[in-house]
Amino acid sequence: MAQAWISREWFQRNLNTIIPISGLVILIISLRIANPYFLTSWDSAITLIYGMAWFMVAACGLTLVILMGSFDFSVPSVLKLSAMIFAVLYPMLGLYSILLSLAVGLLFGFINGTLLARFNIPSFMVTLATSMVAEGAAQVISGGYTRIITDPAFRAISTTMILGLPSIFYWAILVWILCIFVTFVTPFGRTIYAIGGNIVGTRLAGINVKKARTLVFMLCSLLASFAGILYASQIQGAHMQVGVLDMIPLFASVVVGGTALTGGVGGVHRTLLGVIIIRWLDSGLSMLAIDLNVRMIIFGAIAIVMAILTIDRRRIKIMK
Amino acid sequence: MNVGDALLEVRNVTKTFNKVVRALDNVSIEVRRNEMVSVVGENGAGKSTLMKILVGVYKPDSGKMYYMGREVPFPENPLDALRRGISIVYQEKGVIPHLKVYQFLFLGLEDRFTRLGRLQLEKIIGLARSVFEELGIKCDLASSMYELPLSTQKMVEIARAILNIKLMVGEGSNITPIIILDEPTAPLSLEERDELFSYLTSLKKSNSFIFVSHIIPEVITFSDRIYVLRDGKLTAHHDVRSEKVFEEELFKEIVGRASYHELWARYESVKVRDIDKKPTVLSVRNLTKRGYYTNISFDLHEGECVGLFGPAGCGKSEIARSLYGDIVADYGEVIVDGKKLKLRGEPHTRVRMGIGYFSGETGKELLLFWPIRKNLSLVNFDKVTKSSLKIVSVISFKAEKSLAERIMNKLRIKAPSVEAECYSLSGGNKQKVSVGKWIERAPRILILEDPTIGIDVGAREDIYDALLEMKKNGISMILVSDDPKEYALLCDKIIYIKEGTSQAVYTNEEFRKVMGL
Repeated sequence: MAQAWISREWFQRNLNTIIPISGLVILIISLRIANPYFLTSWDSAITLIYGMAWFMVAACGLTLVILMGSFDFSVPSVLKLSAMIFAVLYPMLGLYSILLSLAVGLLFGFINGTLLARFNIPSFMVTLATSMVAEGAAQVISGGYTRIITDPAFRAISTTMILGLPSIFYWAILVWILCIFVTFVTPFGRTIYAIGGNIVGTRLAGINVKKARTLVFMLCSLLASFAGILYASQIQGAHMQVGVLDMIPLFASVVVGGTALTGGVGGVHRTLLGVIIIRWLDSGLSMLAIDLNVRMIIFGAIAIVMAILTIDRRRIKIMK
Repeated sequence: MNVGDALLEVRNVTKTFNKVVRALDNVSIEVRRNEMVSVVGENGAGKSTLMKILVGVYKPDSGKMYYMGREVPFPENPLDALRRGISIVYQEKGVIPHLKVYQFLFLGLEDRFTRLGRLQLEKIIGLARSVFEELGIKCDLASSMYELPLSTQKMVEIARAILNIKLMVGEGSNITPIIILDEPTAPLSLEERDELFSYLTSLKKSNSFIFVSHIIPEVITFSDRIYVLRDGKLTAHHDVRSEKVFEEELFKEIVGRASYHELWARYESVKVRDIDKKPTVLSVRNLTKRGYYTNISFDLHEGECVGLFGPAGCGKSEIARSLYGDIVADYGEVIVDGKKLKLRGEPHTRVRMGIGYFSGETGKELLLFWPIRKNLSLVNFDKVTKSSLKIVSVISFKAEKSLAERIMNKLRIKAPSVEAECYSLSGGNKQKVSVGKWIERAPRILILEDPTIGIDVGAREDIYDALLEMKKNGISMILVSDDPKEYALLCDKIIYIKEGTSQAVYTNEEFRKVMGL
């Protein structure tokens, strides 16, 4: 037994834990070597938090969907649309525009979930289509213009400093903990994993699979919407570039954390690590003046490699 | 028996799965030239395992193989078996419905008939025509497979197997193909069966067949020799040409004589007198699904078990699954407690009405990568949650664990702990986990589909014990199975279904008499 825990089998079993942790360590060391000023001041840490927190909120929602074995392409577009609604309506409605923005998010989730659950359309097709709808709606609402809101109340949502950290940090942690709670100890969370693991069996066990799937998609879009609101508050407004090119990094951070694309394996708790790695890598690479396009190539490659590595080997062995 | 007579012979074959389940135990069979050998046995007797060894899907633990008297290694894979002239026609899923007949016939052989990358259609169709003429199949080569009658589809599959062997071995060599037919008649009607068999008889001139079945009359009528397998052991061998074999005798050899009286006694021990006077929990009226079954009506009383009996493909499992809402019937009425159920209801609505469903199809129901504990609580959330927080109910791991332990003890599930992942369990224990979910839930009606298919005897008995106890406690059941013994053990009323319509209703006693149990 003394040697057993480090065996090949142990390594394979825990691959989706080992990779993110060792990845993070390697990342910190190499960023430190490349830039001696990396993470040396409190201010730079806060900058990093601003980069991560809203992203984390959206990634939590996406993780729920991926756990269920589905995919949601509409996360960045819903994020953008919500940010836009919030910024456009804020001068008229004040903070009530948050409610409207969240409601639109829920509506998109409801449409996604209903279409795929009732009509059995693959989730990537449904969400790809609705992401176009959200994209177009954002364009129509804003007229394509950048909206800037200078009202301090608007900014306060994300940037109020509490115990030396911006409020957006606490929002993200709150969402994270709530998602962990739901997935770990509630029947609903158990159902999410069950659907990802064996949707046929879950249905035959007498669980309302259609309802559960719709709810998860609604939750995902709601969180995307909330991420959009936080982001708008953080950058004091919204513009058409919000969320553009965020799909692959979002997806990468979910799989880098160790949630398998096939569903049923992983969890929201893992996504925190994935988000930290991907966002650090992103800011590290831009610090090194690496072009955005090259960064996209890198994230695409990471996403593919991690998608392959996190797919549950045991499942493949059984399915032969 | 002289070794020289045999075309193919296997001796003392043993095969064990998961180091525990002995699928085959010291089995020896032989196939001679131009004969039809039958291998009969119940589900799980080891027929399929033996056939899969012959075509190289499985490797046996021990045993020897002889071909024309010479010892040869067991085939490595199906292609290897094909080169030696052995091929298999599986029970189902062998036909690709939308291919044309000639396309299907040459599937996978196209590269032998191409010139400069172009498929030589004329050559293929010409060859197909001559093959069909030679084998005596009458059908339009350009029609799609699904348009042909089922018996003709089977014939085309057999023709394809023979053609495959001939092309693989080479036209010139004088090899006798051995074709394994895995329950070829299961979906066929009686006339279609006769047609298929007259076809097979004519093919015997140049081929040998191994016929796997559990339909006794046709086995006796059409085969030359019969091997009987039971629980992985060869229990009998008959030469039909030299001895008279009686149906009843063969049936008893297949199911095992010893357990009859005990079965009977066990059924009688939980039997309730005048079960028809008990309140009705479920009535089915004129339930119909086009193409599957028509006008099915019956009543299910409290504590009663109704069996839907009939050949595979007769619609019995579709009826059961319609009642659970897994598939949707076209019209008719399903009434539970005086309330009409929506035909279009999903399974969760049925569970709410107190109906449970359990299928023995491995892996269909379980979450194989979950521990036993989580699998067992999937239908029992209300038993393992506390809603102390008022708005959300929270799963208590302690309650889950004790629930799982209770069920594990009751069903004698063999596993290291409640945390053992289900994929690591043996087939029988997996099945016990599947059925165990419902034991604590105690639905009022439990629908069982092949509850003990393909599992070992011990596990089967444990599951029967659990089911009989549930029955004693007043839970009503609907059983669909391939095993007549199971009906005799559990059912108070057996509805015989043929081609989607109910033909007769038997009581348990009548059924046993009809089946010779």
